[in-house]
Amino acid sequence: YKHRIQVEILDAKTREKLCFLDKVEPQATIAEIKNLFTKTRESKECHNEHDHSFGQGPLDGTRSCARSCQAEGCDTILPTDPQWYPARQSLRLDPKGKSLKDEDVLQKLPVGTTATLYFRDLGAQISWVTVFLTEYAGPLFIYLLFYFRVPFIYGHKYDFTSSRHTVVHLACTCHSLHYVKRLLETLFVHRFSHGTMPLRNIFKNCTYYWGFAAWMAYYINHPLYTPPTYGAQQVKLALAIFVICQLGNFSIHMALRDLRPAGSKTRKIPYPTKNPFTWLFLLVSCPNYTYEVGSWIGFAIMTQCLPVALFSLVGFTQMTIWAKGKHRSYLKEFRDYPPLRMPIIPFLL
Amino acid sequence: MAAAAATAATKGNGAGGGRVGAGEAAGTRKKKGPGPLATAYLVIYNVVMTAGWLVIAVGLVRAYLAKGSYHSLYYSIEKPLKFFQTGALLEILHCAIGIVPSSVVLTSFQVMSRVFLIWAVTHSVKEVQSEDSVLLFVIAWTITEIIRYSFYTFSLLNHLPYLIKWARYTLFIVLYPMGVSGELLTIYAALPFVRQAGLYSISLPNKYNFSFDYHAFLILVMISYIPIFPQLYFHMIHQRRKILSHTEEHKKFE
Ligand SMILES: NC(=O)c1ccc[n+]([C@@H]2O[C@H](COP(=O)([O-])OP(=O)(O)OC[C@H]3O[C@@H](n4cnc5c(N)ncnc54)[C@H](OP(=O)(O)O)[C@@H]3O)[C@@H](O)[C@H]2O)c1
Repeated sequence: YKHRIQVEILDAKTREKLCFLDKVEPQATIAEIKNLFTKTRESKECHNEHDHSFGQGPLDGTRSCARSCQAEGCDTILPTDPQWYPARQSLRLDPKGKSLKDEDVLQKLPVGTTATLYFRDLGAQISWVTVFLTEYAGPLFIYLLFYFRVPFIYGHKYDFTSSRHTVVHLACTCHSLHYVKRLLETLFVHRFSHGTMPLRNIFKNCTYYWGFAAWMAYYINHPLYTPPTYGAQQVKLALAIFVICQLGNFSIHMALRDLRPAGSKTRKIPYPTKNPFTWLFLLVSCPNYTYEVGSWIGFAIMTQCLPVALFSLVGFTQMTIWAKGKHRSYLKEFRDYPPLRMPIIPFLL
Repeated sequence: MAAAAATAATKGNGAGGGRVGAGEAAGTRKKKGPGPLATAYLVIYNVVMTAGWLVIAVGLVRAYLAKGSYHSLYYSIEKPLKFFQTGALLEILHCAIGIVPSSVVLTSFQVMSRVFLIWAVTHSVKEVQSEDSVLLFVIAWTITEIIRYSFYTFSLLNHLPYLIKWARYTLFIVLYPMGVSGELLTIYAALPFVRQAGLYSISLPNKYNFSFDYHAFLILVMISYIPIFPQLYFHMIHQRRKILSHTEEHKKFE
């Protein structure tokens, strides 16, 4: 015996009824409901209005793909209303509560024979991988413009000249390898759980990464650059810190990848593995952030450049906020979470 | 500083994280007045600040009568002006500890921009102190502040005369553009002296590998008025319509 569930979807703000799904399988996931919601809205528009004009959505310039009209007896190609595709939707049980996860199963939620879900629009979405690639390719390219001293930066007589300080060349190598590593990791290592993020984030994030990269590169590659006060010793120490932290960061990313089978979204408690760099998991929840901050501190010591120190500080603040959030959700999700761990800095923070 | 915080990278799409929920929680938070101790403190603070700006107003009038000219009145009120405008920094603290329900970021921005003008421009560039543009913003600030602080004082005591409320939401129509013009003209007048003296500027080479051009920074500050001023001005016009029309209706029923 299998009873089906009726699902109604209301707008979280106006409480307007957006959609009514009769007879939904109790085993249906939120992801499936989102798909059904998208479909019913498409066919409804088609039936009700049946004029194939390119309507003016609230977000213009986003309508891109075409679909064929699914209405009976209608075989025109319509511009798909990209509004409210599944990744844009947030469904909640309470209009002000937390979003349900895509994997949540209808049956397991506290609903009776009729489930009322509240809908919120998350805004235009863009693939997570696209965001990371643009964010990281920018700094890589921008830094090199300054390194090669392309015209209109340092004045005509310095065009395409090269610095006489070894540390400047070393810094360029480190910076480039760091971003190449991040690009490759985004493509081949990370297994992200959400496919998308809001479009506006890309503008914010790119301003941050690109802006800082330009600011740092300007001073490091400047013809009037002053090399580190303690000379080769300082550079060697900084290089050691940088390399160790990069290896550590990479090791953590590999360990996180191994926690999640390909194509899944599961989250597990990460533990140290055979690789000594991952032993930091004994003390902190997000050692990849610890190593990332360490790399930038290394880079700041190597270049002895104030903007690099500021970038490290801002990055540290941001990553601490994220690490605290992740730490909190680990504690909430796993009863047996190791009590010794701190979010980002062992024993401290 | 504010700009750095605002451009910090964003992560997550709100579906997974608790980000969306947190914003909503703040929105539905109930309004609660300050406790009796905080109210007493705030009344004293606002009375002192009203008195302070009154001292400045009286000082300006007396100096004008004594001199018979409005040029260079700045020198006669320099000390109380610096003191009471700097004292406005406490308002940021009031917002931060929550005894005043305004936004910390917005209040900081407003107070800091004035403190900046007083210390980093007018105090630092002696040559501009005798400019008439200084007097322009000083007069605008003085009238605004006397009304604003007495508005707060009377509101805290629950006896707000309509005249003060009306003045607070009306005089800005003239005073705000007047203040902004004074500020912009003063910064503009300071530019050549800043460049000449290399004031507050750091140039390469130095061992921190960092440079700062105060002259360029001041130009950026002036440019930043373009998007900010109309926004604040029309926000105030909107507030005026909301608050004054509301009370006028009330009056009809009484
Ligand atoms: N310089 C800077 O300002 C800065 C700022 C931020 C990041 N970064 C760099 O970028 C890297 C990636 O950042 P991120 O914030 O995406 O790192 P992250 O949140 O730690 O995630 C790294 C990858 O591991 C997955 N993962 C995390 N915890 C997991 C768990 N318990 N079980 C299974 N999989 C898990 C994540 O999937 P999900 O999709 O589920 O999260 C993601 O694919 C950082 O490590 C750092 O090197 C630099």
